[in-house]
Amino acid sequence: MTVTPSLKWGLIGLAAIVLSLAQAGLFQQDLFNLNGAPLLWKFIVASVHPDFSPELLQTTFNATLTTLAYAVCGTFFSLILGIIGGVLTSEVWWLSFGQPSRFWLLIRGFLAAPRAIHELIWGLFFVNIWGLDPLTAIVAITIPFGAITAKVFSEILDETPRQPLLILLNSGFSPLTAFFYSLLPQAFLNLLSYTFYRFECSIRSAAVLGIIGAGGLGYEIFLSLQSLRYEQLWTFFYALFILNGLVDLSSAWLRRQLGCSSRLDLNLQQTKKKQAPKDIVRRRYFLLLPVSLALLALCFWVINPDFSKLWALRTQQLLGQFVRSALPPDFSEVPRLIPQAIETVSMSVLAIAFSAFGGLLLAFPAANNFFLPGGLLNSNPGKSANLLPQIMLLLSRAILLMCRAIPAPIWALVVLFVMFPGILPGAIALGLHNLGILGRLMAEVIENQDQRPLEALKAQGTPNSLIFLYGVLPLTMPRFVAYSLYRWEVCMRETVIVGLVGAGGLGRSLTEQLSSFDYRSLIVTLGGFLMLTFLVDWVSATARRSLR
Amino acid sequence: MDLPAPVFELKHVSQQFGQFSALTDISLQIYPGERVALVGSSGAGKSTLLQLLNGTLRSTQGEVWAMGRNLSQLSSKRLRQIQQQIGTIYQQLHLVDNLRVIHNVNAGQLGRWSFLKALTSLIVPLETETAIKALSQVGIAEKVYERTDRLSGGQQQRVAIARVLVQNPIVILADEPIASLDPELSREVMDLLRNLAQQTHRTLIVSLHDVDFARSHCDRIIGLRQGKVLFDAAPHQVSPDLIADLYRLESHR
Ligand SMILES: Nc1ncnc2c1ncn2[C@@H]1O[C@H](COP(=O)(O)OP(=O)(O)OP(=O)(O)O)[C@@H](O)[C@H]1O
Ligand SMILES: [Mg+2]
Repeated sequence: MTVTPSLKWGLIGLAAIVLSLAQAGLFQQDLFNLNGAPLLWKFIVASVHPDFSPELLQTTFNATLTTLAYAVCGTFFSLILGIIGGVLTSEVWWLSFGQPSRFWLLIRGFLAAPRAIHELIWGLFFVNIWGLDPLTAIVAITIPFGAITAKVFSEILDETPRQPLLILLNSGFSPLTAFFYSLLPQAFLNLLSYTFYRFECSIRSAAVLGIIGAGGLGYEIFLSLQSLRYEQLWTFFYALFILNGLVDLSSAWLRRQLGCSSRLDLNLQQTKKKQAPKDIVRRRYFLLLPVSLALLALCFWVINPDFSKLWALRTQQLLGQFVRSALPPDFSEVPRLIPQAIETVSMSVLAIAFSAFGGLLLAFPAANNFFLPGGLLNSNPGKSANLLPQIMLLLSRAILLMCRAIPAPIWALVVLFVMFPGILPGAIALGLHNLGILGRLMAEVIENQDQRPLEALKAQGTPNSLIFLYGVLPLTMPRFVAYSLYRWEVCMRETVIVGLVGAGGLGRSLTEQLSSFDYRSLIVTLGGFLMLTFLVDWVSATARRSLR
Repeated sequence: MDLPAPVFELKHVSQQFGQFSALTDISLQIYPGERVALVGSSGAGKSTLLQLLNGTLRSTQGEVWAMGRNLSQLSSKRLRQIQQQIGTIYQQLHLVDNLRVIHNVNAGQLGRWSFLKALTSLIVPLETETAIKALSQVGIAEKVYERTDRLSGGQQQRVAIARVLVQNPIVILADEPIASLDPELSREVMDLLRNLAQQTHRTLIVSLHDVDFARSHCDRIIGLRQGKVLFDAAPHQVSPDLIADLYRLESHR
């Protein structure tokens, strides 16, 4: 038997997980701190009687609005950056101007750095400059998200079929006209779909940014967790669930209306997509624009950021000061960085393993086309008295929502009730948060899966367990793996934010150096972190390509 | 003459999709060893009829009997037992693309395999001789460890047939098995299906767009038009006029 790519990568993955577990000290030291168990119990019990006093509800409402506003404004600006950057870094744009140069590759490379640094680090950096102005939160979201959006947009543009563009170009249209009349309309749905997905991510980031003091739900949650007021904490949690749930639902609904079923297409083999009727699609566009503009205006009004600070003299002075104090880099810390780098990678590996596994388990009951009456694996069609599948669907979706709505650092603080600080609690916290995101993506993969091969298996009398084994699993697994690998890259960046609450790794040094203004070491740590992220991206991309 | 019990019997069967009526009041019997062609224009209801026969669709009205059982009255376990005796080859192949050929062929036996055996076989393929024998019967034995989506359309069609061979059913249903094949391959596949049915005395029901193949390879032709049986006769009784009637456009009625 030959060694297939999947076997090879499977073994590599397994080895990575075992090594990371060893690194996390699973086999040697005490991990659990049972003294914190009563506190955890108190925390859990508080979930059934949250604080619904009028004052707190008012606070909750304001905080929710703030978080939403950060997300909306952040998405807006990163969309603008993303469009400009995406067009400028796409190969096809330069091609339509007849530029053979590799200029686009250069800009693409330039955008990799802002992308690799987590919002939270950007936030901590700008807090040093602007203080706790809403501007800090918005810019902290805009910079990395703008760069990510630019990258994805350029990829979408480059992967859109070019034939129509070339036809227009060859028949003498100006490049700009040709671009806007052929490529953009073709790519539009994909771009829009990705924008919705970005918005969902922005909501989560806006909550995380609260933790550094930027206000909103994350901030309130952090405060009540620190002061042990769990009843209040749960009120904020519930607000966060509702906000996340509503955003995810409306984004899914909009995408369905527009006929783009998957939120982020990782360009595997294209599955046959169900297309929505075109005329419906066109009617909805017109509604979308005024609604989002109104929302945007409302959000600017709510948080009222002080944009003048962007070009204020003081900002320039502080930035100049930062540059001066960061140079020359201080390499004395490097020996300490290497073990931390290994810790960081281990944490990301464990986090993604945990969330991929959990996401996989929850994705099947959370998908709406399997166990429900009329679903493929429902064993007694016709008899719909059995409510179990519906209950499982709701329950698993609720768990997924809860996991992804609560920011990873908050999960970390909760896990630290019963575990000693280290990379394992950090990994669990990251894993819990990403589990919610991955599980949902996977459920979507299952829902969009071509059912016909499964029906063929069913038609020849195959029992459900074997339909699952020979049909569902092999058909969905490549996408699951691709999503998990993609999410691993994200986990790697997010190790920083659990580092903030003491989970170790490079993230901890980064936040320490930031808050002690040790910029010369910071630059070195950041450089190391960037190299690590690129390494992880490269491994992930290589694995995805060879598993395609 | 004393006829054997029919393999399939439809009693006043209608199939509704919402308001739309895909099949109306179909009654017919199919006997062991018959080779039946279903012909009719696109949308006439051929695929729907085949789905009713293999139990993946439940008729909205009337009764579908297979091997002496009323399909709509069976428990899901009993239904599966009947379905193991019915092999279906689909219009759009319906293979699991990213599994290797061997697993797609072995899938034909899943009705008989235990979970453990099926799981083991995914890791170390089992009963390879059976699979290879079936694959060599359809002429692609060398592709046994290839990934299925790397094969050409014609080769995939053969994998689908090999799967049915391994399943070893009493009845073979084929939904436009030659729709995507060139004339040469079409003939080979149709010959294969006919020989299979003849040699082992299996019943074959095949939907076709090509009436010539229906004549040359089957001993009974059922013409469907807008969900109704227009004719049901032996090939020599099906006149060119009848065929013209079958494919006449709706607007000319
Ligand atoms: N699941 C379904 N829901 C709604 N309508 C359906 C469904 N399946 C089939 N139909 C409709 O029933 C009619 C018959 O379809 P069927 O697939 O049986 O036709 P066919 O004779 O196999 O056509 P073709 O030669 O194109 O394969 C068609 O009008 C089709 O649109
Ligand atoms: Mg058909």
